[in-house]
Amino acid sequence: MNRPLLWMLGSIVVLGLLITTMAGVNFSSQTTSTDGQPPIVLYCAASNRAVMEAIRERYEDEYAREIQIQYGPSQTLLSSVDVSGAGDLFLPADDSYLKLAQQKGLIREILPIADMQVVVAVRRQDAENIQSLDDILSDSVKLVQASPETAAVGKLVQQTLQQSGQWDDVSAATVAYRATVTEVASDIVVGAADVGFVYDAVLHTYPDLVAVELPELKPAVSRVAVGVIDQSKQPTAALHFARYVSAKDRGLIQYDQQGFQTAGHDVWADVPELSVFAGSMLRPAIEDTIAAFEEREGVTVNRVYNGCGILVAQMQAGQHPDAYFACDQEFMNQVHDLFPQPVQVSQNELVILVQKGNPHNIASLKNLAREGLRVGIGHEKQCAMGWITQNTFREGGVQEEIMPNVTVQTPTGDMLVNQLQTGSLDAAVAYLSNAAGAGEFLDAIQITGIECSTAVQPWAVNKESSHPETASRLFQKICSTESQEIFAAEGFRWRLESDEIR
Amino acid sequence: MNSVADRPPHPPTSIAPPLRRRSDAPFFLVMGGISSGFILLIVLLLAADILFVSFDDFVAALKKPEIQYAFRLTLLSCTAAALLSVWVATPLGYLLSRFQFPGRMAIDTLVDIPIVLPPLVLGLSLLILFHLPVGGWELESWLRDRVGFPVTYQWPAVVLAQFTVACAFSVRTMRVTFDQIDPRPENVARTLGCTRGQAFLQIVLPQAWRGMIAATTIAWARALGEFGPILVFAGATRMRTEVLSTTVFLELSIGQLNAAVAVSLLMVLMAIVVLLILRLLGTELGS
Repeated sequence: MNRPLLWMLGSIVVLGLLITTMAGVNFSSQTTSTDGQPPIVLYCAASNRAVMEAIRERYEDEYAREIQIQYGPSQTLLSSVDVSGAGDLFLPADDSYLKLAQQKGLIREILPIADMQVVVAVRRQDAENIQSLDDILSDSVKLVQASPETAAVGKLVQQTLQQSGQWDDVSAATVAYRATVTEVASDIVVGAADVGFVYDAVLHTYPDLVAVELPELKPAVSRVAVGVIDQSKQPTAALHFARYVSAKDRGLIQYDQQGFQTAGHDVWADVPELSVFAGSMLRPAIEDTIAAFEEREGVTVNRVYNGCGILVAQMQAGQHPDAYFACDQEFMNQVHDLFPQPVQVSQNELVILVQKGNPHNIASLKNLAREGLRVGIGHEKQCAMGWITQNTFREGGVQEEIMPNVTVQTPTGDMLVNQLQTGSLDAAVAYLSNAAGAGEFLDAIQITGIECSTAVQPWAVNKESSHPETASRLFQKICSTESQEIFAAEGFRWRLESDEIR
Repeated sequence: MNSVADRPPHPPTSIAPPLRRRSDAPFFLVMGGISSGFILLIVLLLAADILFVSFDDFVAALKKPEIQYAFRLTLLSCTAAALLSVWVATPLGYLLSRFQFPGRMAIDTLVDIPIVLPPLVLGLSLLILFHLPVGGWELESWLRDRVGFPVTYQWPAVVLAQFTVACAFSVRTMRVTFDQIDPRPENVARTLGCTRGQAFLQIVLPQAWRGMIAATTIAWARALGEFGPILVFAGATRMRTEVLSTTVFLELSIGQLNAAVAVSLLMVLMAIVVLLILRLLGTELGS
């Protein structure tokens, strides 16, 4: 056998050894979870590597769950997520990529982490010479920018300066466009450029560079956020780590140290407990959604359903839920100091509920004043429905005539429905949603011509909540298409615009 | 017919002065000048890198466990990709060099595709190939679930990404090698009773050895510098699929210029050592 052939055959043995070694090296490098669960796979922008490695290390120590992180450029990672459909979390350099991914249906939940301000980067010794936009536009200054086509920071600078009418001058003064923000910073470090637009957080790893803040760039702020990949096979575990990354007393400590702007956010809890107060009428519309949210997120939602008057009294007595879903705006107004930013989600109409077939021929509010009728309504102090009912009676000019027939005032509409079913009432004034599950034995008669007979349901998160982000995600779940369908089926009309959902 | 005697006698000639031997200095000056321009550029590049990074930075980079892991994986994966490349390039180069067959032109062109394809697109194409659902069947799922050999985002993806590009260069080299080997000796061997296989193994292969070493060298070097396809197809997972080229990118991404340059210099050192070994091996076998 000739020597070359011998060597070639020998190379097969070498190849086998190489493959065995690589497999061995890889397997030995894996940290296995104590519970044998698969690792959480995170696609992470390379710019977040330093901070993410520190968080990963701490998380693995605390929970013995392996985190596998793939670093790369955000757009490349997005393509990988798109093509492979694998992985659990995606953390790009800024949230514009998450929005793009969400449009493609690749991302479910988004958890905000930190903000980044666009600033002018300049070498420390040149900082005195660069104080304004005019200084940057000087002929003697070499300006480089991240490309608006490839980098979010470039796009943000372009949008901001276009709005102030300064983009054309800045664009004309730019000597080169770079693909990424780190290339811009590196150019300035090595002296290829004098100034460039970068995120303030980027400069943390460039000790030779300093940031100059320009008033023109004040609105140029980007956000770092982590998204849960839609096809994740372990969303609860993924969300657990995502919550850890975005918790103010866990991951955000690292982000803060790296120069990112972190404010607000949740306090860390292994299994967060969220308390939600909601009007009883909303229970059928939101209960299933909340249960699904609990299961997916691995959190506990302590919900309290009751008449809104009672709930408001409890809150005024010192109970502070994380979120409040009121039956009507009026009750939200009463706790405005706790919930300063409510959004109106849905509306519900008052109707007259009667036995199936309408044996008493009731056609309008006025008919409820007939002698001998047993009428049930909500309690005006205990629930929004009772309060609105009284307003409606007043507006309709029938309050004094009907009230003698009112035999019961309950704190919730469900109780009225029950009493109608048992035959202890002939008619009741309740929400259309109260009758949604009782269509077989009740008829609903519309109240027409009186505007105030419609209740509007607002949602708000407590400004003192220790889990505002989790509460916001619950709200996003309540605003999902599936949830809106449940609202419609329960007799509610959806009124929140999609751009108001936060 | 004129006889020799009729010819006029040669005029008396003076002895010609000896041809003055001109100096070769201008030749070497021009050739050397042009050549040294390129050599100087490379030396200056390396010198700039060495001056940019301190020895402490270099040592600090080498001490990082993830860089040590990337070093090991780079060495192993590049060698595996290079060996695989030569194994594939030798028969393919031989067939393309010696035979005319239907579709030869098309195959010849196809072999060059990995060379001309933008690196990131090559990685993306590999990723698509392994995740393309065909009637509910997917290659990656099949490999992972049935064979127990996941590829995407694992070390095999690193080797495959390196091999895809490196092999194309190897095939080119081997084809040129076989083009330059005279087919007569193997034809003679066949007339003497050798089969085509025997002729290839005993006549052609020993002559092609230097070309094979060159193909291995090129494949190894190309695999070392491979970056885009690895990033897309294998990812850059720490202590799993991170090779030195991706380490350089990752260090640059977080503004660690010193670490990036230190790792680059490490790659240069590594390449010098491995390529020298391969050359020595070639010389040894050639002798």
